[in-house]
Amino acid sequence: MTQGDDRIPLTVIGGFLGAGKTTLLNRVLSDNHGIRFAVLVNDFGDLPVDTSLVTDHDGETLTFANGCLCCTMGDNLMKTLSDLAMRTEPPEHILIEASGVADPRPILDLGTLHPRLRRDLSLVLVDAETIHDRAEDVRLKETVDRQIAAADVILINKCDVVDEATVAAVRAWLRKRVPDAHIVETMQAAIPLDLVFAGDGSPEPMSRPVAANDHDHVDHGTQFRSVTVVPENPMTRLAIEQWMSVLPPSVLRVKGYIAAENDPGSVFLVQRVGNRLDLSVCPAQGKTPGVVFIGSADLPDADWIGRRCVA
Amino acid sequence: MSDITIYSAKRILTMNRSNPLATHVAVRDGMILGAGALEDLTGWEPYTVDDRFAGKVLMPGMIEGHAHAMEGAVWQDEYVGYYDRVSPDGDSKPGLKSIDEVIDYLSKVDAAMDEPEEALIAWGFDPIYFGGRRMVAADLDRISSTRPILVVHASFHIVNVNTAVLTRANVTAETNVMGIMKDADGKVTGELQGMPARFIVTSAIGREHFVEMGQEGSLWRFARSAQLAGVTTSTDLANDFAEATLANMKKLTSRADYPLRIVPAFLSNTRPPEEGVEMVRRILPESSDKLRFGLVKMVSDGSIQGFTARLMEPGYYNGAPNGLWYIEPDEIPRILNAYHGAGLQVHVHTNGDQATDVVLDAMEDALREFPNPDARFTIQHCQMAHESHYRKMARLGVCANLFANHLFYWGDEHYEQTMGPERACRMNATGTAKRLGVPFTIHSDAPITPLAPLFTAWCAVNRTTVSGRVLGEEERISVEDALEAVTLGAAYTLKLDGEIGSIEAGKRADFAVLEDDPLEAGADGLKDVRVWGTVVGGEIFDNAAITGS
Repeated sequence: MTQGDDRIPLTVIGGFLGAGKTTLLNRVLSDNHGIRFAVLVNDFGDLPVDTSLVTDHDGETLTFANGCLCCTMGDNLMKTLSDLAMRTEPPEHILIEASGVADPRPILDLGTLHPRLRRDLSLVLVDAETIHDRAEDVRLKETVDRQIAAADVILINKCDVVDEATVAAVRAWLRKRVPDAHIVETMQAAIPLDLVFAGDGSPEPMSRPVAANDHDHVDHGTQFRSVTVVPENPMTRLAIEQWMSVLPPSVLRVKGYIAAENDPGSVFLVQRVGNRLDLSVCPAQGKTPGVVFIGSADLPDADWIGRRCVA
Repeated sequence: MSDITIYSAKRILTMNRSNPLATHVAVRDGMILGAGALEDLTGWEPYTVDDRFAGKVLMPGMIEGHAHAMEGAVWQDEYVGYYDRVSPDGDSKPGLKSIDEVIDYLSKVDAAMDEPEEALIAWGFDPIYFGGRRMVAADLDRISSTRPILVVHASFHIVNVNTAVLTRANVTAETNVMGIMKDADGKVTGELQGMPARFIVTSAIGREHFVEMGQEGSLWRFARSAQLAGVTTSTDLANDFAEATLANMKKLTSRADYPLRIVPAFLSNTRPPEEGVEMVRRILPESSDKLRFGLVKMVSDGSIQGFTARLMEPGYYNGAPNGLWYIEPDEIPRILNAYHGAGLQVHVHTNGDQATDVVLDAMEDALREFPNPDARFTIQHCQMAHESHYRKMARLGVCANLFANHLFYWGDEHYEQTMGPERACRMNATGTAKRLGVPFTIHSDAPITPLAPLFTAWCAVNRTTVSGRVLGEEERISVEDALEAVTLGAAYTLKLDGEIGSIEAGKRADFAVLEDDPLEAGADGLKDVRVWGTVVGGEIFDNAAITGS
């Protein structure tokens, strides 16, 4: 029996040039959230970081005041990942910025193959303003298709620069292409940290959004919701799988612990992103049962979700 | 006063249009004083006449405009390709005509190895010739269940491994990863692609195998491979500028007994352009007569036979989905401008016509933003360019380096599967390039196909496929034009046409020394012209010293 899951979650952030990847990553590196992220980018030059936040710079790696690292991928992503995992203080979560034309799936697969890593989330940003043109562009349409198909969660970003009808059209268009897609709308790539960060399963109250900047007047509460459900009884693996399988696409991430039936000393660590469920068993000691559901504005309430839990 | 040597030859094909044929060439300090009849040269005094080449034919040392130093590294492994191939030691390795022949051959290699856990690595395997049968782990398990065995495909993008490798890398039936092939029953077949392949191989053998291209031994083999083919200058067209590689290249090319000039092109894809510009600029002053920096390579799309090239309509003949960009198309102009704007010469890999289209537009814009009438942008491979692209290239002064060897090795697949008859017949359109005045050369992409410009020239002249089909009679070029393409044509794309590529006064004394006359050999015999050796900067390199014959 494993001691929970001490592998480092690997998230890939995809999307074309200008979709908001850099904005999102810049916030991870600047905000004071207390989580040791490592962010891998193609090019430091693209990242307009506040240099006053950089505490150390040794060629390939920048260290930030909040404890995060940022490195360039170099020509050997695998080696870069191995080196990160082998650090004396390894990162708690690794985010990789995929190039605009990269398929996120093979990159995420490295998380499946590497013994120290765990495949987490593929998050693809689409630019509400330009996605339609790109999907029509003969140079780019297959790349758009591949990206969208590879996404566990799709963020329709830049919803503040287009009208509501456009956002609705983009959403409908995505829904038609990927019927079970997990889609959420954002502005300035502002998403809750809990959606990005896999964490150790502890159901915490929803964190504040990955910080808004000064001219950001978006009410994130309308874009994202989270609810916590504590199952009344211990559950079997099968029962958890059944419960997770009935959740609507508005559920973007699930994480938490559930007491294991017939095994009082153990709990299930539940980690689900998009439709991908990862269940592992770990000792119950010190683990508070409870499951947090993070989703878009139309996330069902705790009661609805709880009623579908049949232990 | 330095010594002057006048070499006599049966015939000298100078590639100098104003003095095309000669019988003698005078050389001093590695430089040509002139070519002509003996009496045209005796004014250079004091001279000695050297008749060692009296029975040979000389032409300018051939120039490979698209090869990789990896040509030297692969030969530390076992060659298991379908065609006979000459190793840098001059051994002729017989082609293996079935999976069973590959297994039998590797079993013999295995039996001769002492250390049971040492990896056995082979390369050049191409199942395209085996009628749909793929290699599986069980095939390789017949050789050994303990030793990691890796069979790298001719494309270098796919590898077959045995169960010992899969076990070491913890790959099981539950491993669901793109690039780890499974059969209809969900069993891992042992065929791997892409990043997972690289990861699994590295985990299994404990080192990064193909990073070893820059070792001294590999660079020696690269040079010998070139020498055997009459090549005196080669690009290394995707160099990541690893310090060890650069140090070894500097060290070896400074030696008089190293028989090759190398033009490493900085591979831009792995670095931000601002950083890349700095790296190339920093190393520019370290250029020498045998090691020339300043060239930059970009890679825009994949390969045609791998169905990863980016195509315009009507797309792949067999209906395969369109291929992959390796750089976001909207990023290509920015990267191109960064290098071009810094005064560096850029070569861009394109295979599909859509990639060529996007890259040509970017080149046009770059020339508008940073006007340079002698930029000599070169499109590498450029396999599917349309006539309209060639017209545009001619207007812009953009060069083409066409992959003539593809016509022979994969021409039938292009005809039947990837492109269909019409487009297959205009692939690597050397005839169009010539007719429209696009400066061009032709290449091998060694080690993808053998480093042998006379064979490459034969491909462009005949356009014959493996099955004997002629792929586009209209695109064939003359023997003379093909020989110019592998000498002066290649020199032009590297901006070295003032130094090498022809035998004339003031150029470097680089010769290919041939037993047979390529003009007499003609279209049919071109590929069979025997190479005696080379002369590089006046130093003589006899192939017999390598082959021992």
